[in-house]
Amino acid sequence: MPHPGWQNFRFEGIGTSWEISTPAPLGPGFRSRLLAEVERYDSTWSRFRDDSQVARMSAGPGSYAFPAEATGLASLYRILYALSNGAMTPLIGGSLEQLGYGPGYSLRPRGAPTPPPAWDDVLEWRGTSMTTKAPVVLDIGAAGKGQLVDLLAEVLQSQGVREFFVDAGGDLLNGGNAPVTVALEHPYDSSKAIGTVPLAKGALCASASNRRAWGDGLHHVLDGTTGTPVRTVVATWAVARTAMEADALATALFFVPGEVLERHFRVSWLKVFSNGSAEYSAEFEGALFT
Amino acid sequence: MKPSVRKSVFAGMAGLSLAGTVAGCAPSAQQPAAQETQPATTSASAAPGSSSSALAESGGGYKDGTYSADGSYRSPNGTETVGVQLTLANGTVSAVEITEHPSNPNTRKFQGQFASGIAEQVVGKSLDEIKVSKVAGSSLTSGGFNQAVEEIKAQAL
Repeated sequence: MPHPGWQNFRFEGIGTSWEISTPAPLGPGFRSRLLAEVERYDSTWSRFRDDSQVARMSAGPGSYAFPAEATGLASLYRILYALSNGAMTPLIGGSLEQLGYGPGYSLRPRGAPTPPPAWDDVLEWRGTSMTTKAPVVLDIGAAGKGQLVDLLAEVLQSQGVREFFVDAGGDLLNGGNAPVTVALEHPYDSSKAIGTVPLAKGALCASASNRRAWGDGLHHVLDGTTGTPVRTVVATWAVARTAMEADALATALFFVPGEVLERHFRVSWLKVFSNGSAEYSAEFEGALFT
Repeated sequence: MKPSVRKSVFAGMAGLSLAGTVAGCAPSAQQPAAQETQPATTSASAAPGSSSSALAESGGGYKDGTYSADGSYRSPNGTETVGVQLTLANGTVSAVEITEHPSNPNTRKFQGQFASGIAEQVVGKSLDEIKVSKVAGSSLTSGGFNQAVEEIKAQAL
């Protein structure tokens, strides 16, 4: 728990472990409302279940209606798609399935990697409405968990809970005014931290490449000319006002320089590279163990 | 938390980039797509090689070609400019490109001041040593994925 004496509500949802901490325990009705919101989100956006709206969309072209939260995803994904020159796209689902990261988690490639289609070739996403010209496998994984954190925060606030802390498997939202000191998980050893930062009101989300590596580990790739590890980003952190932004920006840091993101978002950021070096915005100064 | 200036910049940018899909589905929209952003100032011009200098014709159709427009907005560093380039083919948008113009000297100064710090070598400390109750990371992410990896490891033994 983030503060002494606070109460934790723990559950599993969208493939991760959740812990919501509040000064007073949440009653059964309250807990049910939170779990219902998790189920509603999952049943809409998950590409891992065949009854979701996203699964229906993958069956064939057509027009599909999505809930209100689709609007925020559309604008966030669109700007990051532009800033990353198409590298960060909600259409990456098909490419992930091709490599074995789909329903059933075979983790066995079906064939050579395939690039996702260009956004404007197959998808018109206006607010809550999506029209597709081909079967598309939508994957909003880069922002979805963060957005669900924000939606659960809204449930808490709507019920008059003013102080809370949400931990969605290491993606954090501090809904209270008291800062919470947070450790930054070591990219290769989850029993260690590479630094600590105070998290004031707002969100801190992380992304790591090695966690989802199912082929050769990136961090074992050596440069044949120097024998040193390739300097590639292995872990990122982003602090933003909402968890949806922090979540998406943590992923965007793999493709877009932090300085560029700072021009468009109110964000603090940290990148850790495979050779053990790090780059960070001013807010992370002094946070790292060196 | 005070209102975020960059948040509004972001909203403006999202508007810019979404203009492509808006125009794509509604070729008869009254406003040229590039003007939908309408920040403080906009200037639209046809790219060299295009025969048209205006997006909209009377009758509501658009001429094919590549169009570019600059939009400006107020950032914490003063006025910023972004460029948007739209390619129209058969009356629909076939490509959207956003470019940034780091033209404002204050922006460079701002970026200089907030330029990223660098650590040569980060080291790990045991979580037992540092007294924190919360860890920001992604090792807990995706239970199904981790389960599958464990199963594959077990099969591979």
